[in-house]
Amino acid sequence: MPAQLMEQLPLIAMVVLVITTLFLLLSQNWQLNILALAVQFLAVFALTTLVWPFGLAAVKLVAGWMAGAVLGASQPDPALVEDPQAVGSATFIFRLLVAVLVWVLVLTSTTVITEILPLPFPLITGAMLLIGMGLIHLGMTTRPLRVLLGLLTTLSGFELLYAAVENSVLVAGLLAMVTLGLALVGAYLLDALPGEPSGDTEEGSA
Amino acid sequence: MSSPLIWVVLPILAGFGLWFLRKRYATMALAASLFCLLLALLAWVAPIGTAARLGPLSIEINPTLEFAGRRLVLDASSRTILIYIYVLCAFWFAGSVAAGANRLLIPFGLGITGLLVGALAVEPFLYAALLVEMAVLLAVPIFAPPGKWFGQGVLRFLIFQTLAMPFILLAGWALAGVEANPTNTTLVTLSTVFLGLGFAFWLAVFPFYTWIPLLAEQSYPYISGFFFLLLSTVTLLLGLNFLDRFGWLRALPNLYPVIGQVGALMIVTAGLWAAFQQNLSRLFGYGVIVETGFSLLAISLSNSLGLDLFASMFVPRMIMLGLWALSLSVLLQRVGSTRFEDARGMVQKLPFASAGLAMASLSLAGLPLLAVFPIRQVLMEEVARQSLSSALWALIGTVGMLYSTFRALVILAREPSVRLEAQEMEPEPALPSAATSPTPARSFLESPVQVVLLLIGISGLLFIGLFPRAFLPITAGLINRFTQLP
Repeated sequence: MPAQLMEQLPLIAMVVLVITTLFLLLSQNWQLNILALAVQFLAVFALTTLVWPFGLAAVKLVAGWMAGAVLGASQPDPALVEDPQAVGSATFIFRLLVAVLVWVLVLTSTTVITEILPLPFPLITGAMLLIGMGLIHLGMTTRPLRVLLGLLTTLSGFELLYAAVENSVLVAGLLAMVTLGLALVGAYLLDALPGEPSGDTEEGSA
Repeated sequence: MSSPLIWVVLPILAGFGLWFLRKRYATMALAASLFCLLLALLAWVAPIGTAARLGPLSIEINPTLEFAGRRLVLDASSRTILIYIYVLCAFWFAGSVAAGANRLLIPFGLGITGLLVGALAVEPFLYAALLVEMAVLLAVPIFAPPGKWFGQGVLRFLIFQTLAMPFILLAGWALAGVEANPTNTTLVTLSTVFLGLGFAFWLAVFPFYTWIPLLAEQSYPYISGFFFLLLSTVTLLLGLNFLDRFGWLRALPNLYPVIGQVGALMIVTAGLWAAFQQNLSRLFGYGVIVETGFSLLAISLSNSLGLDLFASMFVPRMIMLGLWALSLSVLLQRVGSTRFEDARGMVQKLPFASAGLAMASLSLAGLPLLAVFPIRQVLMEEVARQSLSSALWALIGTVGMLYSTFRALVILAREPSVRLEAQEMEPEPALPSAATSPTPARSFLESPVQVVLLLIGISGLLFIGLFPRAFLPITAGLINRFTQLP
């Protein structure tokens, strides 16, 4: 049974990615979004083990979870669990339909990409799914937390593709630093002053 | 002692050290400027890669620094680049107090500079993408200082610059594959596409440049000007690095025409959009895009004249964008806004800043007797010989920029609106410095330091325009390291 589970692991990871990316696109609850991000990085880790050693792939998982923890710790108020710009049902349906379009595009393009890059099918599909859904997410939001979630999703897709062609430890470490750096920048922006511009000049006027 | 240690690691450490001086802004600015000038001087005189005797001592600066199997290489051919970058930093930091820039500019600016110089020096080149990304992440706090409002410009800047990184990394993999197997046309296509997209994001090529005017409008001009100038300089040089390194890339039949068309597209779209703007800071952003477009046009000539013109643009660009950023910053300090409606009639109250704004924007538009005109004239002639359509599009874009500049000047010079009906005149908005200044009232609101800096910038543009042969060849050495380019 465990051997069968290990064989099915890439497929399970792909399904998990479909669910988590869709959840990140549709959900407005930041706590659940951070949880979905953590599960997403777990799936990315599972797919990365197809091409990297276990220890090296764990770097991505740890970096991703740390990024999620940093973003989660930077949220200002438990009362703001729900995004104040909550979407209506029309927007929900629109986003769902766009997600379906992305899935169709990913499934049709994966066979073409597999001919160019002879890599495991689940890995390419998972990577393209992350990239596609991440880009859609970036195009549909202006809120700092959601932008960072979209960026982390897109980058994890690229990192999955890149892991298949480059297994340098230094590159893995630097990409982990970039992931953490993005999370720190996100935390910084989440802590910054929100609202409308006041027209005030900067400090230190001559 | 190695050159990357001096010009990459030391600035980053200096930035960290100067962070602790941030409460003493003037001291920090002075220390940073002197440090950068020292680095520039060292780049000029230090013996890189050769031994020099200093009395009983023999000094040699190793051009290479090895780290985890990778190398940072700054040899003698990099001198001009280092001098240019650190002189830029020195003058920009020196003017930061007068410009009223946030004090985070200096420590973070030094860190960004060190990382970007590292991006130029690193081998293999794919690590440049990671170093540039780290510089981008460091730039966010200076665009969105603590306690200040930040807009969509910062987020869009973060998105577009971060999206560049994976394309450059994948391009690195594809280029390595092409080197191993040059007949693999799929990899050639992939590497060209990845490289093209990566640089499109880095250089903010149309349509990926919407973040520049947005960020220019929403952040402090002096800070955005510093980053726009530094990033565009480094990414253009990185692009030339790629062309220099890969012969098959240079030999691609349509590469240079495509680069020229992209440059022309940037110029015409930015010029036309600029004609409809209502904010002086956004005009500045479009001006940066036009400058990048002209650099791409120069590269597209694919001959030694094109490269000479490309290198010649660096000094006028630095003075022009510096003057423009300083003028906008002074305007923002005194008026509180750079919108046209708020800047109306500012020639009377801020004559030097208005003059600086006028000179910088007219220079960018290529007006005769100003710094950029000699270069622009030769460039347009050469581009017209190779591609008349690109030259025409560039001309249309330039006309758009010129129109937007004249609109801005009319606004600055226009009196506040006078009602023809017999109504009470609206009182002029009270300017903080005019109301609170204890010194005898000046007829203008700029401080003496600001006046001096603005006059230096204006004089610089005029001198270079009147005596181009004396100034423009200064940066000819910028292209020394590109030995394979024509």
